[in-house]
Amino acid sequence: MEMFGEYGFFGALLLAGVFLGLGPVLVPLLIAPHSRGEKTEETYECGMETIGSAWIRFDLAFYLFALIFLAFSVAALYLFPVAVVYNSDAYIWRDLIAVTLFLLIMSSPLVYAWRMGVFGGGRGVVITQEDDTHEKAD
Amino acid sequence: MARNFTEIFGSVWFAIPAAVTVIMGFLAINALMIVWMERKVAARMQRRMGPTERGVFGLLQTTYDMIKLMSKELITPRHVSRKLYLVAPVVLFTPIIAICSLFPLSENWVFHDYDIALVLVLAFSGMAVVGIFAAGWGSNNKYSLLGAVRSILQNIAYEVPLILSVLAVVIMARTMSLHEIVMEQSTIPYIVVQPLAAIIFFIAATAETNRAPFDIPEAESELVGGFHTEYSGMRFGLFFFAEYSSMIIVCALATVLFLGGWQGPILPGFVWFFIKVYFLIFLMMWFRWTFPRLRFDQLLRFAWLLLVPLALANLLVTAIIVKLI
Repeated sequence: MEMFGEYGFFGALLLAGVFLGLGPVLVPLLIAPHSRGEKTEETYECGMETIGSAWIRFDLAFYLFALIFLAFSVAALYLFPVAVVYNSDAYIWRDLIAVTLFLLIMSSPLVYAWRMGVFGGGRGVVITQEDDTHEKAD
Repeated sequence: MARNFTEIFGSVWFAIPAAVTVIMGFLAINALMIVWMERKVAARMQRRMGPTERGVFGLLQTTYDMIKLMSKELITPRHVSRKLYLVAPVVLFTPIIAICSLFPLSENWVFHDYDIALVLVLAFSGMAVVGIFAAGWGSNNKYSLLGAVRSILQNIAYEVPLILSVLAVVIMARTMSLHEIVMEQSTIPYIVVQPLAAIIFFIAATAETNRAPFDIPEAESELVGGFHTEYSGMRFGLFFFAEYSSMIIVCALATVLFLGGWQGPILPGFVWFFIKVYFLIFLMMWFRWTFPRLRFDQLLRFAWLLLVPLALANLLVTAIIVKLI
């Protein structure tokens, strides 16, 4: 176990999680009844005949939020190592200035998205062809 | 000085089974008790009695339910993507034990203290969304798919304020080890100095566990059961178990970060720890019967226009004040 280093313990518990997760799914195979009707294996749709498949193309109305999320979460993760060494004696004011600049740059996508009207009314996304001039605020 | 499980048991080969047994036993009993508590709290808030029949105060009701679930047939619908469908509940369940092992229960009860325990907790709780999407997409059911899409959007909205509010604590504690964060709060819990971060964290944590008022991924009046509509028997049981365990995880994390973990007068450490955790869980149940469910765009706007800017400002102010003191 030592060969996995410090995280062997964590990894072993993850592995245990996989097997313990399989357990409750396997037990009913032994004790549960087994009967099949005509409609047992049909997809549930409130009792109606199932109409088509769910795997269709659909409007992912909030995809712009996903883009902002990408910009944010990656940047926020970079702050963890900074936060740990923050206010060490070696930096006098440098760390504060760096963090301030970082946060300002980091929040600029939010301001941009807000100005672009991503957070506007209705179903969220209001960027349409007419808005391509980047003028429209809300 | 905290001793971890490996030191107590002398070898990892004993420590790992011991840890798995302890955590799994705790989680199983805990899930049964929380479901009972949820039903009792819900009932009392609506002037009903809740379960009373089985055991004292109906305490055994969920045990009966569990046995019932165990003996139910597992149905795999014909049109599902089998791999995704079967693997999803296990994916959701897998990280729970490992995450629970990261929390310090008392001064001398630490399973294993990692330098980056905080990031591990956040990263592996984030894994849940993979399981949820696998379930939703794999089911080939419109309700499930909508539930899964909503769940991901919700995660997108609430992961960021969660991380930012945690960062304010890390700046103050200057460590990511959960044990040391608790030790730093020996004089004063961080909720006193970081009230805003604590509130933001708890709101985001409620959303992270898909609980009301943020239960739109499984809104039963719109989506039947959301992403687990097509699951029956114990597979559904696993989703349920994972949901209640993730409640424990976020409440334990909130306790460690803001309420001083196991620190407290007179009573032994782990008693304090569980008092705080269960108080937070009660708070979550209280939320459920107090706030109406949000609409989706309201939720996204609430997260991005209120929580994120507040969390950013809080982080900046924390950085300045820590520097000045």
